[in-house]
Amino acid sequence: MKIRCFQRNFSAASSLLVPVQLPSRMETHFWYVLPDEVKSSSLLNQYLELLSPCEKESVTRMQGHQLKKKALLARALVRTTIARYQINCQVNPRSLKFKKNIYGKPEIEWDNDENWCPPPLHFNISHTPSLIACGVTVDVPIGIDVEEKQRKIKNNVLAFARRYFTPEEVNFLNAISDLEVQRQEFIKLWTLKEAYVKAIGKGFSAAPFKTFTIQSRPAKHSDPKATEIVVESFDDPTTNFASNWQFTLLELAGSHYAAICRERGKNIEGKECVPMRLMVRKTIPFVEDECVSGADAVVTIGSLIDQC
Amino acid sequence: MASVTGASITMTPLSGSFKANSSRVSGLNSVSLSAHAICFPSLKMRPGPYRFQVSCAAKPETVEKVCQIVKKQLALPDDSAVSGESKFAALGADSLDTVEIVMGLEEEFGISVEEESAQTIATVQDAADLIEKLIEKKDG
Repeated sequence: MKIRCFQRNFSAASSLLVPVQLPSRMETHFWYVLPDEVKSSSLLNQYLELLSPCEKESVTRMQGHQLKKKALLARALVRTTIARYQINCQVNPRSLKFKKNIYGKPEIEWDNDENWCPPPLHFNISHTPSLIACGVTVDVPIGIDVEEKQRKIKNNVLAFARRYFTPEEVNFLNAISDLEVQRQEFIKLWTLKEAYVKAIGKGFSAAPFKTFTIQSRPAKHSDPKATEIVVESFDDPTTNFASNWQFTLLELAGSHYAAICRERGKNIEGKECVPMRLMVRKTIPFVEDECVSGADAVVTIGSLIDQC
Repeated sequence: MASVTGASITMTPLSGSFKANSSRVSGLNSVSLSAHAICFPSLKMRPGPYRFQVSCAAKPETVEKVCQIVKKQLALPDDSAVSGESKFAALGADSLDTVEIVMGLEEEFGISVEEESAQTIATVQDAADLIEKLIEKKDG
């Protein structure tokens, strides 16, 4: 029997990664790291050791210490997060390989082995100067986007929206008289749209923002105030997109908006709107993990979520 | 009847691949990180290929203006090293930054950049070349 595992004593580091069960098909896992909490240079060195030569080169090309650090943390977060799921046996975060789909979306490249069926694990990352996140699902694609709540838009928000968003979305923003609220709603809408194009695997370049509308509407749910976020695509009006993609919007750590978009599992039956089951963990890989689901650090805004 | 008492399974760690990783890339073996800066041996930045047919490269003034708009959008200090070769991604620009930069360029130069062209801009030089091409077309 060929055992695709690695001896535990090659590196003490990976044994400090607390293993986690794979999410169920209905669940989404969301991990994030705050770069400002990572100060130790020996820890950064540990992270550096996890990267492939290609990733190290990409990190080097970033200009300036801060950008290099964030690029490094992003790769380290992805590798350590996936390794936690210990599919089959201990997985070394350093041995993971990645490939890109035709639009450039990163995916895991599992070793081709007849005796072993790789898990249908999907992931997506997003980074901002002060927070880096990684979302994980099983069986269905996921896209996430995170933005700082305070992010200033240099251009006029409505001019920007008219240029890049759909008429419905422009109307929504135009109806907001308070400029600060308008800016916040713009950022939220941007993160939702980014999360969607990343979930469908195409990214901003291949799925122009003008080709789909995202809006909030009342949800079919026992709670009359419940709303859900839905997408309507003009590219393919025959497909009932609204039911395929599930969105959620969070306010993280009081400082960021995070949008998560995932495909609904194929077996979801029933007319009632099903909340997204979500587990949120703040982490410093190899150092500590903190489950923040349901705590003040995670506030859901828009769409139903069942935090677990 | 087979007996497997005393059998042992030898695990062959694929340690070769770990060692190969660090020796294949020269110069990165002895990277050390200080608390204040991540120091990497500098890799020479190779400019990306030009993506358009241009009769000549953009004027230095155009490149300079693009650099200023990029620095402003990305909140980089005035003395930061931004030049024609600079890649937006390496300067920390995300997709929202790139879109804002394009809008800033449109306003500054009085041009209109199509979505398809905007996607091909990866460096400051790319942007400057595209701007001059569009200005030329406009003035026609």
